[in-house]
Amino acid sequence: MFKRLTVLVTCIAVLNLGSPLVTQAAVIGTLQATAQNGRVADLSTISAALARSEVREQMVALGVEPAQVERRIAALTDAELRTLAGQMADMPAGGDALAIIGIVFLVLLILEAVGVIDIFKKFP
Amino acid sequence: MDAVRFVRVAVILPLVLITGCAATGAMLSVPGQGGIPTRVDLEQTPFYPQVEYQCGPAALATALGASGLPVVPADLVPEVYLPGRQGSLQPELLASARRRDRLPYVLPPTSDSIISQLAAGVPVLVMQKLGAGPWPGWHYAVVVGYDVESQVFLLRSGTERRQEMPAARFLATWDRADRWAIVVLRPGQMPGDPDANRYVEAAAALETVGRIDAATVAYQAAATQWPRDSLPRLALGNTALIRGDLAAAESDYRQAIELDRGNVAAHNNLAEVLLRRGCVSAARSETEIATGLARTGPLAAAVADTAARVAAAGNSDEQGCPAP
Repeated sequence: MFKRLTVLVTCIAVLNLGSPLVTQAAVIGTLQATAQNGRVADLSTISAALARSEVREQMVALGVEPAQVERRIAALTDAELRTLAGQMADMPAGGDALAIIGIVFLVLLILEAVGVIDIFKKFP
Repeated sequence: MDAVRFVRVAVILPLVLITGCAATGAMLSVPGQGGIPTRVDLEQTPFYPQVEYQCGPAALATALGASGLPVVPADLVPEVYLPGRQGSLQPELLASARRRDRLPYVLPPTSDSIISQLAAGVPVLVMQKLGAGPWPGWHYAVVVGYDVESQVFLLRSGTERRQEMPAARFLATWDRADRWAIVVLRPGQMPGDPDANRYVEAAAALETVGRIDAATVAYQAAATQWPRDSLPRLALGNTALIRGDLAAAESDYRQAIELDRGNVAAHNNLAEVLLRRGCVSAARSETEIATGLARTGPLAAAVADTAARVAAAGNSDEQGCPAP
């Protein structure tokens, strides 16, 4: 009984000892202060730490050099990490405009050759 | 005969949609007030032709170059290109600009906001959706001008140094990419038609990724631009605190409170500074005000946290503390 009490007291003491260290950052950051102007904090969103590790995994899966991954993540805000987490495979990725133009031109050319359309014949 | 016509329609219609020719009929017009010119061409904007799928690095290099920072796209590829997607994602373009102490500012989703930037001499990096269906054709380009009379936008795009795109088509392709547009600014440089919250938020993003000096310069510019807004002052206090300058932080927080007595964060952070100075009584009166203002809002937890720390600090005040 006494032993258990000692353990309990020690646990509480240790926890109390730890808490000031955890809550050291009592300053409200600028991003936090601007966020309250518009939207209410969404409690369902995942934690920044989880988002970070998810983005890390996806970057490696999508072919980013492991040496570059940390550098790339370091310049993203928590909100951006949350946006990216779980979506990197589906988000719009700007890049393949040339391919599109190429494909369309090729299809038009084939259709022209086959005789389905005749748009190019208007030009000498 | 009818069969041939059907085949033609069936084949051409999707193609027209894919190439984005289905214009919405949107017009290019300039806001009546504010002396916005009817024609702008930022000829000095550099150009980096796109290689393969890398329009992201090319467009970003163009915008960075325009902000006075010459970078070649090849240097940006390891930072923004995703091989598995053969393209670049929007947040990573912002991050890459921040890494170079540039402030990426996301524009409000209106064509007027693009016009304002160009009129202010700042090129605009946009996303476009040039395709449809299985070939969305997401593309980044930089808008460097417009002409109301001939109804065109001028772009640095892909391999074209000066692409003249009909305004209706440009606006339609931009609209289908959710009207995403940014400007890349030097710290302290203001966008056209600036919005205080957007600007401070962009600067705060710089701060959170550790570019403290660049963020401070941007906050100073914001404090000059919006002298009656308490937010830039609060932000300057926070960066002063990061530098460890308690006196400057305290002065900034007090100025922020003078501008807006209802600024919860300024009261809370002032309490924190006073606590670090050993001025418990003064800190307590600040947390009491902050608690009353925060009520059950999003900052209530942070304020309660500060109040608890003040309560745990006892009752002794150091010498030279302000009266509570």
